[in-house]
Amino acid sequence: MNQLKSRERTIREVSKATARVLVVDDGITQRMFYRSVLETAGFVVEEAVNGMEGYEMALIHPFDLLIVDINMPKMDGYAMMRMIRSDAAVRMVPAVMVSTEGEASDVVKAFEAGANYYLQKPVQPDELTDVARMIAGVAL
Amino acid sequence: MALVKASEQSPHIGTEPDSRDLGSLLVDLVAAEPSVRRSAARRLVVYPEAAMAVCDRLEGEGSPSVRAMLFTALIHQKSPAVAGRLVSFLRSEDVPLRNAAIEALQDMSDAVVPHIQGLLSDGDSDVRIFAVNILGALRHTQAPEWLAGVVRTDPHVNVCAAAVDALAEIGGLDVLVDLEALRHRFQGDVFMKFAIDAAMGRIRGQ
Repeated sequence: MNQLKSRERTIREVSKATARVLVVDDGITQRMFYRSVLETAGFVVEEAVNGMEGYEMALIHPFDLLIVDINMPKMDGYAMMRMIRSDAAVRMVPAVMVSTEGEASDVVKAFEAGANYYLQKPVQPDELTDVARMIAGVAL
Repeated sequence: MALVKASEQSPHIGTEPDSRDLGSLLVDLVAAEPSVRRSAARRLVVYPEAAMAVCDRLEGEGSPSVRAMLFTALIHQKSPAVAGRLVSFLRSEDVPLRNAAIEALQDMSDAVVPHIQGLLSDGDSDVRIFAVNILGALRHTQAPEWLAGVVRTDPHVNVCAAAVDALAEIGGLDVLVDLEALRHRFQGDVFMKFAIDAAMGRIRGQ
């Protein structure tokens, strides 16, 4: 019961302010697409081009949700998520991992790295919006 | 990832004569101390005959800086045989190794060419995506045409989407007709429409 109240409080608190999403993907078109969909849904969107930049931005700015691609140069999504989950300052931020890879083993690896949800590309707008709202706990 | 691009040769990774013989350097390549392995990798640049031994070290190398130096040494070799070994890493479950192989292959231009058709017709769509990613940064005159071929024929939506992304960077006006045809082929896919619109806009300079 207490957990439920806590959850309700979190949803209300996030709803009052504008929910912030960090999109981490090396593909410019992917980032533009996520931004377009999520901003239309009412989110504020920031972008990072690889896992290292994403991790550093997550440390500096508070985000309500991370959308993280897996295959990226410099630092891949798995490595970024492992760093996020091992850092007390940001370990609780919800994260959705996205990849072209749809094998069961890829999904398992994403969850093992710390993802709360997994989406396979190409991501459809309604699916992205619904998942972002659900995982971020936002009633936009 | 490699430490330097091939076009940015460091004086430390040049082709100066080395006092150490090949045998000693190959022993050092598996030394316990990472600094010794890194030094050996750097010195092996001048020994093309050691390229396969350097390739063999990539999978087992645990130090990121040593691995980066191994890749740097291989980029300097630029041979189709080395490219062929790096291509095999595109199937690796080791994501940093796979990504570093992609970056290295992007810097190997003509050495990669003999492997392109095989990669683009691979049965694994993820390997074809990695091939497209390589082509997008290969700086080869035929790269746009190879990517246009992907757009015309590849059945997988994510492979085509990767090719659209690459063509947005290096494609000319002649690929617009292929992009328009792709829009019809994947009619109903919202992301593909978005990607094609964005690519066509960039190619037209909008």
